[in-house]
Amino acid sequence: MTIETSTIETKDDNKQTSSVVVEMQHLKKSFGDKEVLLDINLVMNKGENLVILGKSGTGKSVLIKCIVGLMEIDDGKLLLFGQDISELKAKELTELHRKIGFLFQSGALYDSMTVRENLEFPLRRQVTKVSKKEMDELVKEALENVGLSDTIDMTPSELSGGMRKRLGLARTLILKPEIMLYDEPSTGLDPITSKEISNLILEVQKKYHTSSIIITHDRECAKLTANRIIVIKDGVCAAEGSYAELVKSEDPWVRSFFE
Amino acid sequence: MEKIILEHFQNRKQEEETVPKNIPEIVSNTVVDKFFLEVYSLTIFTVRFFKEVFKPPYEFNELMKQSFLIGYKSLSLVAVTSFIIGLVLTVQSRPTLAKFGAESLLPVMVAISIIREIGPVITALIFAGKVGSGIGAELASMNVTEQIDAMQVSHTNPFKYLVVTRVLSATLMLPILVAFSDAVGLFGSYIAVNLKGNVSSYLFYSQIFQSLEFKDLFPAFIKTFFFGFAIGLIGCYKGYNSNKGTEGVGKAANSAVVFASLMVFIIDMIAVQITSLMQN
Repeated sequence: MTIETSTIETKDDNKQTSSVVVEMQHLKKSFGDKEVLLDINLVMNKGENLVILGKSGTGKSVLIKCIVGLMEIDDGKLLLFGQDISELKAKELTELHRKIGFLFQSGALYDSMTVRENLEFPLRRQVTKVSKKEMDELVKEALENVGLSDTIDMTPSELSGGMRKRLGLARTLILKPEIMLYDEPSTGLDPITSKEISNLILEVQKKYHTSSIIITHDRECAKLTANRIIVIKDGVCAAEGSYAELVKSEDPWVRSFFE
Repeated sequence: MEKIILEHFQNRKQEEETVPKNIPEIVSNTVVDKFFLEVYSLTIFTVRFFKEVFKPPYEFNELMKQSFLIGYKSLSLVAVTSFIIGLVLTVQSRPTLAKFGAESLLPVMVAISIIREIGPVITALIFAGKVGSGIGAELASMNVTEQIDAMQVSHTNPFKYLVVTRVLSATLMLPILVAFSDAVGLFGSYIAVNLKGNVSSYLFYSQIFQSLEFKDLFPAFIKTFFFGFAIGLIGCYKGYNSNKGTEGVGKAANSAVVFASLMVFIIDMIAVQITSLMQN
């Protein structure tokens, strides 16, 4: 299913003229004999929050790991910012990947580093060197954005699940990515913290004008954050539409996600 | 006869046709083949290490940090064990040498034993237990919690940042630890000698240094680099390629120690053979 480029409405009700930032055409991915993604066709527009729903093990995380370069696709086309990744040189692909941020399910914070060092790590790995003063300011701003200014000298083990997620988000946002990929951002969190994370995703969209793909099982998270939802079933995109449209879907299987 | 041969080849052809396409999976069912597959992937890992080690950017800060953690943080453990070994070895050897009236040779005998064999091997085994398991568990846990993936997403080569630095640190730090261990072991021996006698430190050490030769020191020193390299590499290999899940962390730490300790003995055996061949 290919989704037509269209004008999307962001959650802050601003109309934006869209341009495609991620496009998948007949994408396939398997692990040994197990075929996970059979024929994925999707388009993500600039400034859009695209939520991907599906049962566990349907390859939702695999899909976004292919986008960020953690996994390679077996077949099909993957276009990032209009460029086919199979035609790019390693250096060009790395440059494209620099524009993509990834929030891991567990936060993936470096245990051996403090909060400050966790945030400084991606800044230190940049091609353009960042001065100490600039780095301090960026760290401070990133922590303020997620409401964790007091934790700067703590270690990740001292933080709660929700704080770890928020810190993971701060670490990703510090490089100001154009595309954000969220891998189950609200999993394992209580409803209140889960709502806080969803609101944070919306704030990120508003403040940094990012385009996001959000993998989730959480109905509330999908309802709050999605401009558009794609449901994956048996390795293909089974349904697509807004939250309101999918709630009224004629397919009982699709509807079951929203009940 | 021709018929028998023909039947044999026909049967073989049929057998070949029934062999499934996915050979590595079938092959890996036997213990021997699993061993060879492990050796194969360790070889690939080692080749990758040598490819990455010379490629910029060089992770100098991380190398220094790991050298501190691997080397400096192991000093106290090495000091205690070496002191005890030097002391015990001297106490245990004294009665035997006394029987032959060769008590005066005690410092020389203990020194040669410690410097040639006991110092390097015992320190390497302690190092494998402390550092090898630590590296294995740390990298495996990073693997489980997606920290290695996060590093890659942060545009860092995790192999270079995590593996190359740790292997280099282990290779460079173990020889220093062994030299330290030898010195502490000899001091333990000096204390033991003086428990039942009165030997001045000048006499004790001058006797040792007069009897030691280049061939005692050099091969023993060189082999410690190989011990350190093997321990670091195996720890990293087990951790970096661990299965996802907490069980994988335990397995990685455990197999890193077992495999690294075994490698220490194998390298030692090869080193002894080479040294004796060169001396003949």
